[in-house]
Amino acid sequence: MNSTAAPLLSLRGVTKRFGAVEALVGVDLDVHAHEVVALVGDNAAGKSTLAKVVAGVLQPDSGLIEMSGQPVTLPTPASAHDLGVATVFQDLALCENLDVTANLFLGREVRGTFARNDAHMEQVARGVLAALASRIPSVRTPLSHLSAGQRQTVAIARTLIGEPRLVVLDEPTAALSVVQTAEVLTHIERLRDLGMGVILISHNMTDVRAVADRVEVLRHGRNNGSFDAQRASYEEIIAAITGATRIEPPLHPVETSLSAVG
Amino acid sequence: MTSKATAGSQSSLREANRSLVLQTVQRWGGLTQVELVAATGLSPATVSTIVRDLLSAGLVDTAVTTRSGRRAQLVTVARRVGLAVGIHVGHRHLRIALGDFAHEVVAEQSLPLPTDHRVDTTLDRAALLVVDLLERVGASLDEITGVGVGVPAPVDSATGLISVRGIMRGWDEVHLGQTLSKRIGRPVFVDNDANLGALAESTLGAAKAFRDSVYVRASYGVGAGIVIDGRVHRGFAGTAGEIGHVQVNSAGAICGCGNRGCLDTVVGAAALVESLRVNRGALALRDVIQLANEGDQGCARVVADAGAQIGAVVAGLGQAVNPQIVVVGGELAETGELLLGPMREAITRRIPVNQIAPLEVVPAALGGRAEVVGALLLALQAADVEVRVDGEDEVEVG
Repeated sequence: MNSTAAPLLSLRGVTKRFGAVEALVGVDLDVHAHEVVALVGDNAAGKSTLAKVVAGVLQPDSGLIEMSGQPVTLPTPASAHDLGVATVFQDLALCENLDVTANLFLGREVRGTFARNDAHMEQVARGVLAALASRIPSVRTPLSHLSAGQRQTVAIARTLIGEPRLVVLDEPTAALSVVQTAEVLTHIERLRDLGMGVILISHNMTDVRAVADRVEVLRHGRNNGSFDAQRASYEEIIAAITGATRIEPPLHPVETSLSAVG
Repeated sequence: MTSKATAGSQSSLREANRSLVLQTVQRWGGLTQVELVAATGLSPATVSTIVRDLLSAGLVDTAVTTRSGRRAQLVTVARRVGLAVGIHVGHRHLRIALGDFAHEVVAEQSLPLPTDHRVDTTLDRAALLVVDLLERVGASLDEITGVGVGVPAPVDSATGLISVRGIMRGWDEVHLGQTLSKRIGRPVFVDNDANLGALAESTLGAAKAFRDSVYVRASYGVGAGIVIDGRVHRGFAGTAGEIGHVQVNSAGAICGCGNRGCLDTVVGAAALVESLRVNRGALALRDVIQLANEGDQGCARVVADAGAQIGAVVAGLGQAVNPQIVVVGGELAETGELLLGPMREAITRRIPVNQIAPLEVVPAALGGRAEVVGALLLALQAADVEVRVDGEDEVEVG
């Protein structure tokens, strides 16, 4: 919401090719603190590829990534996490046999003097679940006992461990019931209230327009429109997704100079 | 947790555990006994004993259910007589509450909605949420006596249709009560949300002790509910108290209702956000409220000016109705005295002081839940259930 400060995340001219497949071509994206940016588009529009670039899973072939105005590289998921980027992928990547606390701290367990500091981790787990106003009764419940919506809550809560600045959510409401969707959307509002930047990838226009501040449309790996979520109609956004309306891609100094070299 | 026994004694410990179990059940709506053990940290034997105690005291209900394929004992808050549903369709939120005949809310859920949400999608989601919430407390649709629905537009109570066109885009043509009752199979009653806020506040909230009151809902738009002699006054076509469409600027912008310079075009969310766009960029109404509460001068000023402008119009309503109290709810009321101070000043300055009792301007005791609780009350009253008003334990505020 503070448009004068440098964006939390700024992508300029990001390009990613898999052989002949152009997954992303010169994509620009800005996310500010305290802002929910929805990334929408058809299947294979490049939404998940972009999420993976931001999460450090994939490296772009060209383009510039800046965080808070500083150019950065995200060679690994760990480096992205260190810079304050937390990601929830579609498959959630949670462990069925472990309890809620263990899942929240998976791979980032807190060590005490001699062993894991379980008491501290449970305390933090209760804290993040409370921050989301979640409906998970106990942090000791094994994941296999939770509903799909509660698992999504655990996955979102996991992003809060380590105090991130940017949260990337890939299709968080797909395959959820309405009451579970209601909870996840409320969690997204909470993340925004806590001052984080959120990238929300979704197919559901109702969900997107309910919580997003801005809607960025991708089409065949290219930017195809940016909309104020409070003003744009369903029709305008869907026209951009389906290609009924086109925007002329702006020229990127970064991309042109790089393509001139390579 | 209060206890009559001395601290540290066996009985005070038992009392504390008992209220811990009860509070946990109330918080989650419905929990299995195994989940209760995990949530409270008490031993399975203790939980089992306490649940049996609470069951015989009539405070909880139990039912057999399955969790992960195993038989389990579901513990829910005890319901007195039957259930009713309250639905509040706001501009940006859908709120649903399940309540019993003692006005105890047993489950509730809110869902963020898009700007200009579509009537078909929203009613569909509302119906599905009702079913999901019933499942949470282990009840079925048959137990529901009625459904109350509040919408931010004037409603003709005879037909349940929105009586002024253009206020809710796309909702004018739809028979809300009929559409929903066809889905849910129970009677549905529709009313204006400010009227429902007035009903809730005068039955259970801040205006409980008064016969004549006005409820002002300052939200994405502004509306008012009028209570005369303990009854909500809706008017012939349900447009009584539509203060959002009182003209305040004869040269102002055209409003959704078709007139020029309505109060809504000056203090509605769009106008408040627009006036801050120059220096703060695009803000949502919740940002304006959050920033104003954090001490941002620009946002606080916008809220205060809105309070004064609403107050000037409420004063006119006050002259006509002569209420003992004005209760202020809606999202903007979350800024507390930032809104209420200038509003109170604007009202009292315009109304002659009577010698009997000064007019009070107070925040809603039910907060953001006033409208949904009012919808619940509407359904209960329509079902001919005697409305009990005899204690403070009826609806938990918070």
